[in-house]
Amino acid sequence: MTSVKIKNLTKRYGKTIAVENVNLEIKDGELFILLGPSGCGKTTTLLCIAGLINPDEGEVWFGDDMITCAEHNKFERPQERNVAMVFQDYAIYPHMTVFKNIAFPLEVRKKHKHEIETRVKEVAERLGISELLERKPKQLSGGQRQRVALARAIVREPKVFLMDEPLSNLDAKLRVYARAELKRLHKRLGVTIVYVTHDQLEAMSIGDRIAILNNGFLEQIDTPENIYNSPKNIFVAGFIGSPPMNMLDGTLIEKDGKLFVDLGFSTYELSNRFDKLKKIKSTEVILGIRPEDISISKENIKNSIKAKVDIIELMGRELSIHHRVNENTIIAITKPTEDLEIGDELYLVFVNEKIHVFDKNTEENLITKNS
Amino acid sequence: MRFLRFKRVILYILLIFFVIVTLLPLWAGIMTAFKTEADLIYTTPLEPPSSPTTEPLEKTFIIMQRPLQNSLIFTSVATILSCFLGSIAGYTLTKIKFKGSNTVFLGLIIGIFIPYQAVLVPLVMTMVSWGLYNTVWGLILTHTVYGIPICTLLFRSFYVGIPDSLINAAKTDGAGTWIIYRRIILPLSLMPFVVASVFQFTNIWNDFLFGLVLSRGTEAMPASVALANLKGGFVAMWNLQMAGTLWYTLPALIVYLILGKYLIKGFMTGAVKG
Amino acid sequence: MKRKRISRKIFTKDRIIIQFIFLISVLLVGYFVYIGIGWNVVVSLSDWEGLVPSYNIVGFDQYIKLLGDPIFFTSLMNNILLMLIFVPCTLFLGLFLAILLDQKVRKESVFRTIYLLPFTLSFVVTGFLWRWMYNPSMGVINTLLETIGLELLKSGWITDPNMAMFCVIISLIWQFAGYAMLIFLAGIRSIPESHIMAAEVDGASGFQLYKRVIIPQIKASTFTAFVILMVFALKAFDFIYILTGGGPAGWATEILPLTMYKETFAMTHFAYGSTIATVLFLLVMAIVIPYLYSTYRRK
Ligand SMILES: Nc1ncnc2c1ncn2[C@@H]1O[C@H](COP(=O)(O)OP(=O)(O)OP(=O)(O)O)[C@@H](O)[C@H]1O
Ligand SMILES: [Mg+2]
Repeated sequence: MTSVKIKNLTKRYGKTIAVENVNLEIKDGELFILLGPSGCGKTTTLLCIAGLINPDEGEVWFGDDMITCAEHNKFERPQERNVAMVFQDYAIYPHMTVFKNIAFPLEVRKKHKHEIETRVKEVAERLGISELLERKPKQLSGGQRQRVALARAIVREPKVFLMDEPLSNLDAKLRVYARAELKRLHKRLGVTIVYVTHDQLEAMSIGDRIAILNNGFLEQIDTPENIYNSPKNIFVAGFIGSPPMNMLDGTLIEKDGKLFVDLGFSTYELSNRFDKLKKIKSTEVILGIRPEDISISKENIKNSIKAKVDIIELMGRELSIHHRVNENTIIAITKPTEDLEIGDELYLVFVNEKIHVFDKNTEENLITKNS
Repeated sequence: MRFLRFKRVILYILLIFFVIVTLLPLWAGIMTAFKTEADLIYTTPLEPPSSPTTEPLEKTFIIMQRPLQNSLIFTSVATILSCFLGSIAGYTLTKIKFKGSNTVFLGLIIGIFIPYQAVLVPLVMTMVSWGLYNTVWGLILTHTVYGIPICTLLFRSFYVGIPDSLINAAKTDGAGTWIIYRRIILPLSLMPFVVASVFQFTNIWNDFLFGLVLSRGTEAMPASVALANLKGGFVAMWNLQMAGTLWYTLPALIVYLILGKYLIKGFMTGAVKG
Repeated sequence: MKRKRISRKIFTKDRIIIQFIFLISVLLVGYFVYIGIGWNVVVSLSDWEGLVPSYNIVGFDQYIKLLGDPIFFTSLMNNILLMLIFVPCTLFLGLFLAILLDQKVRKESVFRTIYLLPFTLSFVVTGFLWRWMYNPSMGVINTLLETIGLELLKSGWITDPNMAMFCVIISLIWQFAGYAMLIFLAGIRSIPESHIMAAEVDGASGFQLYKRVIIPQIKASTFTAFVILMVFALKAFDFIYILTGGGPAGWATEILPLTMYKETFAMTHFAYGSTIATVLFLLVMAIVIPYLYSTYRRK
């Protein structure tokens, strides 16, 4: 087991920049998530750690060992890095039995036959695939394949586990189950895992820390809670959370020592939590509020926004209500207790501590930003 | 309904007409190969022999035996060698990408199309100076070399279908390039090996030009050349000529009738002959 | 920041076996194809005649001689004739057979196997078979015509200088039609069923379906088959060597590869033979290079 450090990693494919100047420090024993939309460079980063592709710039360190350094043209080969990887398509060798698949990394390392057998059986036992050992990959279900791939990674006791969307080929129900299983496994083995996913729910539920990538850039690294509660910028705020955060264009104005956001259709007063914004030059802002941080009132309360119910969606235990406010749609989530109907006029109240204010030009969160 | 059935009848009549046209020369050849000299005169070529005889076959076998042996040897060895080299080349070009690998690939497959006349003089000169002229080894080398391009194409087009993640997985599992070839690629290549072997066997067996310019005496003479020589040896003795043809074509014909579907696969990918 | 080009090491320890074997292939093909072609060009610029090699470079003498050689032009014309008649006829017949076989024919694979059979035979074999077919005195065609009472149509076939080239073409069509059929059939079968169903829903059927939906979609197969046949029309050697040897009347069915062979190996005009080979090579490349370019450019 080891920590992983990535310094100034850059990888280009011709003119496309897959990863640009990414810096990461992954702690020993951490389950670290690389999260981002499709094509943002997650796989590329992972492959650079594995040594399966060589970056154009930057360094990769395992603990105190520098294993990649583009500047000195030093690229340790994947088979010498002692990493294990679980691929999105599982990459199970189709011509080998499950046993042979799991044994392969040990056989290649010329381990003793006896040792191979005990280790494979042990790992198979742990993952509950003991009965499948003599099967060919064709005879396995998606969930079983995923566990075979996991077993092949575990059997070697590598320094780092790399996983590229290992659950994305499973159906929704199985995925929730496999997610929990993976988390348990991580707890028990205490290994370092770098885990790639584009599913924010998955990331939030299993990750110790999350790095959010966008277009090859690193947007934010933090714990799931911090990322959710204090997104560093509009991209992170919009990417995390479902339904997504409501974003309203506005201008910052100061009147009688108080701070307001002029939303065009209405003016919203900000509490003194936002006082540090008074110093800020740019007045073009975006006000962000998560759907669950909006409460609905039938009476006109002070500092509320008048809206009209447009769509009501039942989402299991909750309702997601789309309101029309002028040209904008604001989504709120409530318990399905209130009897609402489409066309009802309501007043929306924002939970004050949960309001985010972003600079419209730099897209940065103006509150968390240290000035 | 009746009209449709009428159309189907015409369809099958056409199909069978083309079958007859296709098989007519073969039929005539086979019938003639079993005829005595008298039959040759008293029956038409399309009629079966009135007194079938294997005498022409026996007679020509004496002449064709050694060349058939030669052909069998160099065809088999060159088939194996060119398939093996093509497989390695296909693997290198698809799974160990390096700068300029596409150019190397194009450079290799141009070898499929070149008219061999353009390399014939240098080939003969080289074989003479390497002491391989008029030897089975010379033919093995020649057929192997000129088989590499098409085999590379066949294997490459199969290997691009093997997902890269499989190779990447093997690499992180600790396997080097050779181990990956031996433990992953090779076991998955049964199909292309069958296709390429059948394809190459047919091609090399059917070759005439290289045999013609690289062999002189009987020591290395391929069956195709020996057959061509029958033309002058047995003028107007069509039963002997056809018997010789039958001997020469038999191995390739058997391969086609048993493994034809693989040959068809080869034609689809390779799409080349001549 | 300066961009650093990754100089991937091609030769590392564990790659060495594979790389070494690959290198053998590259060197062999490099030598026997590329050096060979270059060497051949050098010979064509020399004055080498007779069995003793001579690399005395005399420039383009042989090429000038070529331009005044009627046999060269006869051969070239015959090659062009193959391109103009053999290629389109084979394509057309192949397409026709493919369409016939596409009608949900019972025992399709048997028909397919039979139609393809001639193509899998050696040209030496088919050459012998067709010599027997065309033999004027007791051969298959003339006796058959006699039997069915069409003696009028009896002919000298390959011994008739005016007919010989057409006889060659007919037998080559016979040999190649199955191959063209195979390529077309593969093309037709690769069209998604939904396209055909959509067209049927739109009211296209029978001939219309083929003309408007299927044939336009098999351009790629047509192109492949076309190129392969064109290249063959230039390279054909074995079949004509066996069937007519370039005759009758000296060179009625002479083609470039045959002329090259005779000049070089029968008359030992090595320089002149190499000149013909070089011209032949250039003609083939004029067809192949655009084909390879359009096929592999994307990859
Ligand atoms: N081999 C390659 N050649 C060219 N471009 C590539 C290659 N691999 C990746 N890219 C490009 O680099 C960018 C990042 O790709 P990457 O595979 O890392 O994305 P990703 O975050 O894993 O996306 P996904 O969620 O879809 O898997 C993409 O724009 C992609 O098109
Ligand atoms: Mg990816």
